[in-house]
Amino acid sequence: MWRLQLRRLPYRKRIAGTALQACWHAPLPSTSSDWREVSFLVVDAEMSSLDASTGELLSVGWVVVQQGSISLASAEHHLIRAENSVGQSATIHNLRDHDLVDAREREQVLEHFLEVAAGKVLVFHNAVLDLAFLNKICRRYFHAPLLMPVVDTLLQEESLLRRREQAIKTGELRLQACRDRYNLPRFHGHNALLDALATAELLIAMASHRAAGKQLPLRQLL
Amino acid sequence: MSAEQTATAQSENSREPFPGLDTPELVTIAEFIRQTLPFNDLAAELLCPVVAKILVQYHCKGESFDATTEARGLRILRSGAVELRDSDNKLLDRLGEGENFHIAGLNAERGEVIATVIEDALIYFVPDDVYRSLREQDRHFDRYFSGQRNRRLRRAARYQPEPNTMMQEVRTVMSTDLLTVKPGDTVQSVAQAMSARRVSSAFVVENDQLLGIVTDRDLRVRFVAAGLPPDTLVSEVMTADIVSVDGSATLFATTLLMTQRRFHHLPVKINGETRGIVTTSDLILAKQDDPVYLVQHISRQQDVNSIKELVSGMANLMVQWVNAGMRAQQVSQVLTAISDAITVRLIQLAEEQLGPAPVSWCWTGFGSQARGEQLLGADQDNGLVIADEVTPEQLPWFAQLADFVCDGLDEVGYVYCPGGIMAKTDEWRQPLSIWQETVRKWARSPTPDAVMRVSIFFDIRCIYGDCKLAEALQETMLDQTSRNSIFLAALAANALDSKPPLGIFRRFVVDRDGEHRSELDLKKRGVLPVTEIVRLHALAHKIRAVNTDERLKALAAGKHLTIAGSRNLADALHFVQQLRIKHQCDQIVKGEKVSNFLNPRDLPKMAKEQLRDAFTIIDEAQSSVRQTYRAGMG
Repeated sequence: MWRLQLRRLPYRKRIAGTALQACWHAPLPSTSSDWREVSFLVVDAEMSSLDASTGELLSVGWVVVQQGSISLASAEHHLIRAENSVGQSATIHNLRDHDLVDAREREQVLEHFLEVAAGKVLVFHNAVLDLAFLNKICRRYFHAPLLMPVVDTLLQEESLLRRREQAIKTGELRLQACRDRYNLPRFHGHNALLDALATAELLIAMASHRAAGKQLPLRQLL
Repeated sequence: MSAEQTATAQSENSREPFPGLDTPELVTIAEFIRQTLPFNDLAAELLCPVVAKILVQYHCKGESFDATTEARGLRILRSGAVELRDSDNKLLDRLGEGENFHIAGLNAERGEVIATVIEDALIYFVPDDVYRSLREQDRHFDRYFSGQRNRRLRRAARYQPEPNTMMQEVRTVMSTDLLTVKPGDTVQSVAQAMSARRVSSAFVVENDQLLGIVTDRDLRVRFVAAGLPPDTLVSEVMTADIVSVDGSATLFATTLLMTQRRFHHLPVKINGETRGIVTTSDLILAKQDDPVYLVQHISRQQDVNSIKELVSGMANLMVQWVNAGMRAQQVSQVLTAISDAITVRLIQLAEEQLGPAPVSWCWTGFGSQARGEQLLGADQDNGLVIADEVTPEQLPWFAQLADFVCDGLDEVGYVYCPGGIMAKTDEWRQPLSIWQETVRKWARSPTPDAVMRVSIFFDIRCIYGDCKLAEALQETMLDQTSRNSIFLAALAANALDSKPPLGIFRRFVVDRDGEHRSELDLKKRGVLPVTEIVRLHALAHKIRAVNTDERLKALAAGKHLTIAGSRNLADALHFVQQLRIKHQCDQIVKGEKVSNFLNPRDLPKMAKEQLRDAFTIIDEAQSSVRQTYRAGMG
């Protein structure tokens, strides 16, 4: 975690008094803690394009994993008011412009997200994409990237498969394919919260298997 | 609002069935939970807050935990499988998707319980406080969990559907004894064939094609009244272009059709093929299918053949009774009453031939007939007790009587006992004192063979004659057995022989080979174990009753069993019997041979759970038998 603290240093002054500072202020878990002692925030986002430079965040969903359990009480789903029309991506996300009427301002959602994320390890299935968008709006409001500890279930699965010296076939790292390897039931995704829930189930399944009844230090998941 | 509009409004409602759920994404979880017992009956207002408090957990195959290592609460299996075992490592239950368990809840009743994950499991965990408040708020929900699993079963055993004969399918009352003739046959030969078969109609068939039907009425109106010659061809008097009815039509629809079009005979088609015929009198009979009439009719028959004819439709009658809502216990009572009536009538017919008995005697029924628990396809188990003053010269009278009655029973459909337990066999036709000596011998040295015989023989009931003789014999039996712990232990070993198929619950234990592979023998696995356990307790406590329900009542009244224990066994027995009868009815309707074998996979979810509950209760009762009668014997 010290590496992360180091990377945060140059931004410290810039973010004074913001929600991001409050988030950073919360103590981070030690990398030697057992995964069950760590609080995770499992996140998924839907965007209008896969390219963060042109696309916009449309919705975000998350759920908290604490003591190895997913708490459904913590599940949240927020639609975000888009600046441009939703356009083509509607076919992927089933989000149409009029769905976004109830959407909240991006800033509000971001501040609430940072509140919940404080002291937690973020979890994504394919973090690169979601993080690009989160960092983009973070920079826009706080002139600083998110800089939170992150577990990427996709990368974890990839390295597990590589360690077994298996050639990775196309589609094998997709969320459903990964879930199948842990005997998790079929899910119907393409909603930020449903995908976040599915990722959270994958996280606890993967961690349980790797812990194999013993302890699994956080460092092995990062 | 039109019907169509109503339907639309309903489907819109059902799209949002969980108004109390703040996060619509959780609906899938709520929907899953609502498909499981007992959440299926829970109101949405109660269910939604529960969903929001659920913790989702994952356990790998091989993990195990008990009430002390994991948090308390109700665990619902979203996927995977879990085994529950007691501290002796005995399997209590095996649970799969959609089933739930509460370790601490089990703990209270059975000592320590250990849950072991046997397939990677995703679990919806309902914390204990939420679970408890749900039980307080909803009586139905509470009942599901209270007093173990028994009440669920009890409700199933007591459930009585509305009797409605007129909604039965016509195939259940149709006659399948079809007479077919050719169009080129003469009217006279057809009339003779109809008289010989005692039917009132015949199908005129050529090249497998049904051309027409000829009935008594056709013969009268178109042949006799028209004064045609005897060699007139049947094609000239038959009714062509016949209307038929599908086997699945209700009696109501069929009756309506027949009265409106003034038909007296109507062919019944199943899958497009003519398989039977229904007449107006069949429909009237269907309404007067009271078993009392049948019993009365039996006593008026003058020979074996007419009795046989009278009861030939018994299988179909049973289907009607069951469809009309008659319960398993009542059905077996009625079937026993019928076999009693047949036995009595056969004895009377024999006495008419042989003259009066030289000394007093009585005819006894054994096994299921004695207990009043007969079903279709029962074989005969009977015997004859003769007063001690009988002289050797008088014995042939009894042998002749026994032959007549046993042969008659076999002819009517109660086949000879494969083990020879019937009055026809010399050994089972004895003076009282010899019987009593035999009983003492069995009780002194309970060989496996003796125990097997006893298990049939000790369920004894007087069916005809001087019942004091049977009572005296029963008195000897009870005297010999009630304090004879060696004999009771041997009997207990026999009762423990057939284990209920607990343990393979996602795949019931089924027979491994032969014709009934992957099927469950409901009689051997369910009915016999209960009967044997209850008989054992009854013999140990000198209870005279032989009917299992009556024995259970007497055992509870004498405080030899707890009221709950006796009720549980009765419920388990009734449930298995009900399933068995229902299954037999299905077989009869499909035209299959009646058997006790059932594939548990064909059962609906609820019935599967109830069957498991029944087997759990039987298993518990066997454990208590083991402790009481075989303590220290392994």
